[in-house]
Amino acid sequence: MKNLIHVKPQHMINAFLVFFVVHTAQIGVGIHGYQRIIYQESKQDAWISVLLIGLASHVIAIIMIKTLEMYESHDLYGINREVFGAWIGNFINVIYVIYCLSAFFLVLRNYIEVIQTWIFPLLSTGFISATLLLLVIYTFLGGLRVIVGVAFFSFVLAFWLIFVLVFPLQYSNSQSLFPILESNFMDILKGAKAMTFTIVGFEILYIIFPFVKDKENIAKPVHYGLLVTTLMYLSVILVSLTYFSGEQLSKTIWATLSLFSIVQFPFIERFEFLAVCFWMLIILPNLCLFVWAAHRGLTGMINIGPKKFIWFFSGIVLLLSFIIKSRIQINSFNNIFAQVAFYIVFIYPLFLYVFALVKKKLTSQRRGT
Amino acid sequence: MFNKFFKNMFKEKESKQEAQSDSASLKTKSINNHLHDKRLISPDKAKFISEIEKESNNPSDLKTKFITEDYTLFYIENLVDSRVLNKHILPVVLKNPYSSPSELKFQIQIPEVNMTENLELAILELFGGTALIHKNGYPTVLLAKVNTRESRSLSAPENESQVIGSQVGFNESLSTNESLVRRYIRTPDLYIKKLTVGKISNTTVSILYLKSIASEEMVQTLQQRITDLKMDALLDSSFLAEMIDDNSLSPFPQMLLTERPDRFCDGLLNGKLGILVDGSSMAVICPHSFIEFFQSREDQNLRWPIASFLRLLRFSAVFLSIFLTPLYVAALTFHYEVIPQSLLVPLSESRALVPFPPIIEALLLELIIELLREAGARLPTKVGQTIGIVGGIVIGTAAVQAGITSNILIIIVALSALASFTTPSYMMGNVIRAIRFPIIILAGFWGFYGIMLGFCFLLIHLIKQTSLGTPYTAPFYPPRWVDLRDSIIRLPLPLTNLRPTSSRAKKRKKFEEEPIDPEKS
Repeated sequence: MKNLIHVKPQHMINAFLVFFVVHTAQIGVGIHGYQRIIYQESKQDAWISVLLIGLASHVIAIIMIKTLEMYESHDLYGINREVFGAWIGNFINVIYVIYCLSAFFLVLRNYIEVIQTWIFPLLSTGFISATLLLLVIYTFLGGLRVIVGVAFFSFVLAFWLIFVLVFPLQYSNSQSLFPILESNFMDILKGAKAMTFTIVGFEILYIIFPFVKDKENIAKPVHYGLLVTTLMYLSVILVSLTYFSGEQLSKTIWATLSLFSIVQFPFIERFEFLAVCFWMLIILPNLCLFVWAAHRGLTGMINIGPKKFIWFFSGIVLLLSFIIKSRIQINSFNNIFAQVAFYIVFIYPLFLYVFALVKKKLTSQRRGT
Repeated sequence: MFNKFFKNMFKEKESKQEAQSDSASLKTKSINNHLHDKRLISPDKAKFISEIEKESNNPSDLKTKFITEDYTLFYIENLVDSRVLNKHILPVVLKNPYSSPSELKFQIQIPEVNMTENLELAILELFGGTALIHKNGYPTVLLAKVNTRESRSLSAPENESQVIGSQVGFNESLSTNESLVRRYIRTPDLYIKKLTVGKISNTTVSILYLKSIASEEMVQTLQQRITDLKMDALLDSSFLAEMIDDNSLSPFPQMLLTERPDRFCDGLLNGKLGILVDGSSMAVICPHSFIEFFQSREDQNLRWPIASFLRLLRFSAVFLSIFLTPLYVAALTFHYEVIPQSLLVPLSESRALVPFPPIIEALLLELIIELLREAGARLPTKVGQTIGIVGGIVIGTAAVQAGITSNILIIIVALSALASFTTPSYMMGNVIRAIRFPIIILAGFWGFYGIMLGFCFLLIHLIKQTSLGTPYTAPFYPPRWVDLRDSIIRLPLPLTNLRPTSSRAKKRKKFEEEPIDPEKS
């Protein structure tokens, strides 16, 4: 039981705050342009794919909570070591840490690309990533309380953006949703799988669990968080499907931003300029949570303080952001990540749960005899 | 790291004495705080006189008076009330020339007469306005408190004016201020702890709180922070507030400075702790959250819908004040696209003659406004009116006619200056105005992206702060839904019956409802 995490009560967070953590960890850069990716697979039935993956996320969340409850006060890293032993467990942990770090990098890189494409074509990649990394460092060093605080304010201050979609709704045509279920079921599933990159993030639950004060109440906020995310994705995809024609949608990389660009207020036009910059607040919790999760994993294996870790890690990311530059590189990185993320987020929890269950049964039998 | 170093410079870690709750022992402790010297008073008259003269450096206003053959009186002429001395001390000593000092102590009819054997304490008290009475042959000295109590008469608070509500402010006398608080809260529950701060100035600091409500832990923390302070002199409470803040490097004040006794008492009644410093007309209230700086005491005196409206107005003024000019700069420098066509025409017309880029134009104008404000604060009131005329003519007309700035920017800058003056706390209003400048610069260099950088940084910074260990962003984060009823809005009084969570009050409810007697009704 050496992997038990002892958290001081003042560093713990209330269960209902997990709602904001789960939700903000999910919403990030994916929402900018997931419509095209799903549309390629499941055409006008893309919204069914969104529903399906949303449902899947609920199922996985149930499995996650069940696994975590089996090992109270353990996070994923501890459970891995507990179930598979130190060597294999740590190997899986390393993969998970790399997963978190690449998720961090992808969010950052995609956001930089959006800024450069939409607003400042000449602003250097290094400058944008350096400024964002400084914000992340500042947040990260404040500890979990500050990270969750950023997640909370990110939700509260950015939630209104969804209502801006009322503007494109005026020009939408519901006919383009029909005929329903024209694509076959495999295509819809493929569409759902293609959404992995957009919907992942809720696996943060695995890491944050030991830090929750009232663990018995955790299921509700988690599922509400997932539900709000799914509803948000659903409404965005419905608006996109009805606003754009199919041809347009398959050629628009950032469909959501294109939706924003027709928004008009008496004092402001071209709303996407504001929205893209405002998005910084939305990706900030994303970045902070991923880097925090990675640090949690690393501290279990090697002795590295938060300060050393974050500066070292930021340096690497800054270098990487120079290396991976072109749209094609980013896109291929996105695709590889999405493939791997699907297995890590949607398949591995099932696998782990079954293993943990079997192991628990075996050990209890051994003790019984 | 730097912050820690900064704090350690002023704090004495070793002197962590257990704070005692017993008031009598606390008083001796606080008086003895600075006494390292254990020299005793010499019983011999001539020797004592020479000791006193040596220790006090024999100032010109030190008076030594031989009342009888054995009795000697010492006092600092400018600090004592000669009428009390002539009426209550001298006749008594003259009447009882043979009684011992301990007998004499009960003969003197003034409120505070003590005895001590410690020489350093006697010297300290001498400079606090006490007359020393020494009798030849006794190793003790009588300390008769006969100091003058000169202070400014009570006047209306000038910096925190209020339309409806009491019009009295604190003044520089600690005893007057304490009596003002006692007059608002007439209960034995009001507890006053005295501490002495400052190696040279020996300033008295009082911590006030309601014993049955305020959290003991917080009182301990606050007391520890004050006793750990290592400084030579404490001249004002604002200095104390900055020194005992959780983060002295942040521009945001984490404790409220107020000159209104009613606001002070309101804080005490909510379970907060108050600090009064002798010689300072500003009282300190802590812990204080960010949002509470934008609440005025007057909000409690107005009807709740109006109070809520005013609070919302004030809070949106903060955003307006910080972000309006940067938005103008960003939009005109980088993002022409976001300006609607109908607005673009008047904008470009007014800017047609301006030779500067928007950032220079905005910084120039903001600087002028800040200069005007600062000049207005420094000038005597009679001359101060001139500033308004100068400002109005120079900025309002001449600057535009000369083609230095555009009309629209003047409206925006004036609006954001006006908005910043709505903040009820002067300290916070200054911060709001100051942080506008870095954000204007960010906007001038990187447009909306720069503004968002500034905004995110501010947000994270605020989340990071604590006030006496309680979260600064409460009740928003961590969310305390009940406390939100009295935050940027104010709901009717029955709904705001609970004290804020962040003050960690022992009693959550402000008042218990009387159980209804079924037989009576």
